[in-house]
Amino acid sequence: MERPPQAEPVGVARPAAGFWAEAWHRFRRMPLAMTALAFVGFLAAVAILAPAIAGTKPVICRYKGRLYAPCLAYYHRDWEPVIFATDKFRGEYPRNLAEKDPASWAVWPLVFQDPYRAVRADEWPGRPANPARDAGRPSRRNLFGTNQSGVDVFAKMVHGTLVALLVGFVSMGIAASIGIAVGALAGYFGGWVDAVVSRTTEVVMCVPTLVLILALLAIVEKPTIWKMMAVLGLTGWTGISRLMRAEFLRLKSAEFVAAAGAVGAGPGRIILRHILPNALAPVMVPITFGIAAAILTESGLSFLGFGQPPPAASWGSLLNDARSNLRMWWLVAFPGTAIFLTVLAFNLVGEGLQKATDPRLREARK
Amino acid sequence: MAAELDKQPPLATVAEALALRNDSVDHNARILSALGRLPAAGQADLAARVDRHLPADLNSTNPLLSSSAAEQDVLGLTGFGLFSFDRHLEPFAAAETVARWQTSVDGILDKVVLRDDLVWSDGRPITAHDVAFSYRVIMDERVPVPAVRSGTDQLRGVHAYDDRTLVYFHQEPLATNVWNINFPVIPRHVYADTWEDDPTLKDSKRHVDLEAKPVCGGPYEIVQRSRGQEIVLRARDTWHTVKGKRVRDVPFFKEVRFRILEDPNTALLALKKGDLDEMILTPEQWTTQTIDDGFYEKNTKATAPEWVSYHFAWNTKSPFFSDRRVRRAVSHAFDHERMLGTICHGLYTPCTGVFHPTAWMATKKPLDPYRQDLDRAEALLDEAGWLDHDNDGLRDREIGGQSVPFEFTILCNQQPMAQEICTLLQQSLERIGVRVNVKPTEFTVLQQLMLEKKFDASFGGWGAGADPDTASNIWATGEGRNFGSYSSPEVDRLFAEGRTEVDRAKRAEKYARIQELLWEDQPYTWLYWRNSFHGFSKELRGYVFSPRGPFHYSPGFGSLWKPAP
Amino acid sequence: MIRHLVRRLALGLVTLVSISFLIYGLIRAIPGTPLTVVVSQTDPSRRLNPADLERMKAAYGLDKPWHQAYFVWLGNVARGDLGRSISRKAPVAQLIGERVGPTLALSAGSLLLTWLLSIPLGLYAAARSGRPDERAIGLVLYMLYSVPTFVAALALQVTFSIWAEGTPWELPLFGMTSGRAHATTAAWLGDVARHAILPLFCLTYVSLAWYSRFINTNLQEVLRQDYIRTARAKGCGPLRVLVHHAFRNTLIPLVTLLGLSLPALLGGSVIIEQIFTWPGMGRLFFESLRERDYPTIMGLTLLFSVLTLAGQLLADILYAWVDPRVSVE
Repeated sequence: MERPPQAEPVGVARPAAGFWAEAWHRFRRMPLAMTALAFVGFLAAVAILAPAIAGTKPVICRYKGRLYAPCLAYYHRDWEPVIFATDKFRGEYPRNLAEKDPASWAVWPLVFQDPYRAVRADEWPGRPANPARDAGRPSRRNLFGTNQSGVDVFAKMVHGTLVALLVGFVSMGIAASIGIAVGALAGYFGGWVDAVVSRTTEVVMCVPTLVLILALLAIVEKPTIWKMMAVLGLTGWTGISRLMRAEFLRLKSAEFVAAAGAVGAGPGRIILRHILPNALAPVMVPITFGIAAAILTESGLSFLGFGQPPPAASWGSLLNDARSNLRMWWLVAFPGTAIFLTVLAFNLVGEGLQKATDPRLREARK
Repeated sequence: MAAELDKQPPLATVAEALALRNDSVDHNARILSALGRLPAAGQADLAARVDRHLPADLNSTNPLLSSSAAEQDVLGLTGFGLFSFDRHLEPFAAAETVARWQTSVDGILDKVVLRDDLVWSDGRPITAHDVAFSYRVIMDERVPVPAVRSGTDQLRGVHAYDDRTLVYFHQEPLATNVWNINFPVIPRHVYADTWEDDPTLKDSKRHVDLEAKPVCGGPYEIVQRSRGQEIVLRARDTWHTVKGKRVRDVPFFKEVRFRILEDPNTALLALKKGDLDEMILTPEQWTTQTIDDGFYEKNTKATAPEWVSYHFAWNTKSPFFSDRRVRRAVSHAFDHERMLGTICHGLYTPCTGVFHPTAWMATKKPLDPYRQDLDRAEALLDEAGWLDHDNDGLRDREIGGQSVPFEFTILCNQQPMAQEICTLLQQSLERIGVRVNVKPTEFTVLQQLMLEKKFDASFGGWGAGADPDTASNIWATGEGRNFGSYSSPEVDRLFAEGRTEVDRAKRAEKYARIQELLWEDQPYTWLYWRNSFHGFSKELRGYVFSPRGPFHYSPGFGSLWKPAP
Repeated sequence: MIRHLVRRLALGLVTLVSISFLIYGLIRAIPGTPLTVVVSQTDPSRRLNPADLERMKAAYGLDKPWHQAYFVWLGNVARGDLGRSISRKAPVAQLIGERVGPTLALSAGSLLLTWLLSIPLGLYAAARSGRPDERAIGLVLYMLYSVPTFVAALALQVTFSIWAEGTPWELPLFGMTSGRAHATTAAWLGDVARHAILPLFCLTYVSLAWYSRFINTNLQEVLRQDYIRTARAKGCGPLRVLVHHAFRNTLIPLVTLLGLSLPALLGGSVIIEQIFTWPGMGRLFFESLRERDYPTIMGLTLLFSVLTLAGQLLADILYAWVDPRVSVE
């Protein structure tokens, strides 16, 4: 007797790899979106490696027989090796390393500039001090020029990338999570849940953000940009929640929801698995724009005095420096271009995400 | 003033001065000397209009409620006053309003006889009763005018004996009495019935109406006021011509329009375009935005020293700054050269204490301005006990059994220059093991914290008052503006003596000694004296600078004119 | 429906009272009082009598505990009296009333302009999605979005006020009117309109990218629906599909946006108002915060809150009208 032919694994659909894995597969095939994601990744790399890209402290050095990493001071003040203070380096490494220990060596950052202060004359042997005021045009030593105080713009932008990225993600992350959750619940359950949630949303909407920030600033001892962003996130979710709620109101009477209910899906599953993927479209734009807008908001806040304490290294503070003297076009051009590229990138990623997670597209590909 | 100016021959002709660019001290002197002249007879265009700049709107047009500098600009032209001070900050009685002024030998009385040809803008005569009435209103507890009341409350009384005669009674024969008699005057016939019903002078309907169109006693009256936009003044005939006779000089402008522009960039554009005839320039605008053809086409600019100085204020009650050596150390550690050269564009001069070197009360002893000397600073800190005991890179000291690290916060306002200077302090001190946190603070919060003395250090500035005794507000023990709680019995004694000493030379000695003592103690780290920078249209003439700028003295704006075509 | 409205109005009143209580507490907690401002503005050469300051405190109602002062304010508001501004020495209602018109002129104009431009842009982008011309337009809009307002404002001022001086292209540098008397109302309106062009442009250009992307994204979502496929299969032309079938189904999010924009109508932008010296509410709010002018701050907050609540109510009513499946009860 012949054995029945083995089922050949040809043309058989792979087992479903899960919603997000599938979405990632589709995302990977969109060149524009991938480029944008790569750009975001590049920014993240710059943010993390900032002290190695631009700084006046060695990345690693060998001094008096031991290895040190002074550049860590850029991450946190306390991480600067104490020996350099006791040996009276006074913040100037190149000359002091050579003088105090001829056997020392150091690996320097790519660009010898500091994001917080102007480089003094002869700090790096043979180099003049940073130009200041109008003379700070982009040049060989100062790729993006310097601001009024003589601080290098390139260094400021590199070190400000971390703030730029996180500021958007932190505030939008908070706002989006709260907004989506709240809006979904209100729209889906309706009735008194909706009433309570909507009234609470209205209360939060009515509080002027400026008053809140002013109050926070005055009360808090050390106002940092993170506290500001937390405040923005905690007050900025209302628009997203209203958009979500409207979508849920619309979709909860759709056929597929009834179908899911008939099959026995509970409210949680219906909300998360069925309605939410369809309801994300209206909030994509507020979220992706919001991440980039946070950078501009940070600039506006520091203009009003509510930003990072000086000397701040952020793209927004560069825009503020430009305010009093727009002849120094490099103070606007470089941060402006960076913001433009970031807006573009986030929007392309958002677009790609939307296409990749659209359930309808998934069916279409089959 | 005309006499004084005539004594100094012009350094250039008008045409030359107009063609000059103000890029050196010499050019500046020429411009001021050629263009800052009073007109010869008939030279001025009496029908001229001028557009002036106001950075903020007035809060009130009632001279009693005025408090800010913007109000001084406007109300100085519309208000009625008997006394003022001149370019050298010497007090005098205005010949336009006063017929005779006598001080009694014992210094307790001042008798003033008003002229008989003074008229309010509504036609009623100005009398001594208006002055006495104003005094009563100012001194009444229910009226909220603390700004105007200070000084006036030092008088024992003001009495009008008839329509023209006034006597001011003082409590003691002090050299400062002459300043207390200078308070604003409101018309009695307008406010007599209304002020008691509404002592706040701004609530009742009548008072609100008066805000829009007040009754003025000065050369100009307010004819139009758009909130937040502009205020228009017109010269009133009843000032210079009474009963058909010319009794006073006609003011040089027929119409003065104050344009309210908050944004300095817009204001500069307006000046360049010709929409404004004058404005105060920021140092940044002076060095970078007023140097090209576009600016010099219609305008020129001038500068002169002003008695305004900026400083770091130390709270002598804080654990960090109670020791004089620490304060001196910080003064030594700060990079003064970089501040003066870069942040201040090389425009300012270093400040060596409370009085300007050109003032009559300044010390004649040469005081060396501080220069950055990190070694000296470290030596002083070591001596004061601030060493790095726990080897963490930060100096510390044991206070009350606990190790206190030398880390403090400095408050400043939100201006970019203030932040830059405080950041420079942070960087200078970082190099010697002291950590500074710079906290730009909203203006009102900053004032509140200073008043409550809740600070370690702050950055700020003072403008000098006309009389050196005003400095006692800041330095005498327990006084209102002594935010740093500085206390020196000798300084207190010298201030008290200076008040009663009438001989100018002896007074000067006392204040000179105060300046030297304060300089040794360094309760402030004095940073620089500021200049005043002003942009003027090429059509304007007659601007003369005083230690309080071109306008805040007599004649001030009154000396400006435009030539007839 | 009526019962629902009445219930909403009653709840709205409760919300207003709670908001005003919260805000009042918050602004009283911020350090600094109107008195601080008075003291700081006084010439340093003048000594201030502490007894005087105490009296002024009482005159401003600052000596009472804040919740007491709040109820005084609430009582006055119930009687229709918004109080007197502390720093500007004029009734709050008058101050706000003066600014409503100018603010509305700019914000309503900007809103209208934004919608008028964004809808066609969004439709076009959805129709030509992915094509080079759509990408190019998108790039231009993102670039506009990235230009900070003060840069654009200054560039426009220099171009149209300074360089264009003397030409018919010249536009006023600042202010709402030129201050000269006008013969007719039409002439005055024309003057205001000329002054409004630059600030309007500055207000609008930023939002174009956002709104057109918003419409585009929603349209994309709708265009993938089955009924669109059906319509296309039935032979509907692309324009009809887009405008008649697809766009109507994006109206719900648009209604939400409309409701959210209502308070912005009287909000105003501080930066633009400062640069162009436009007498708007944004400046009033910012300055009264700085001066701690409690009556004005409360008056403005009340106004914004009323508009916010009205906006939400409007949106909820419109949902039911736009999409019959949605019921708001």
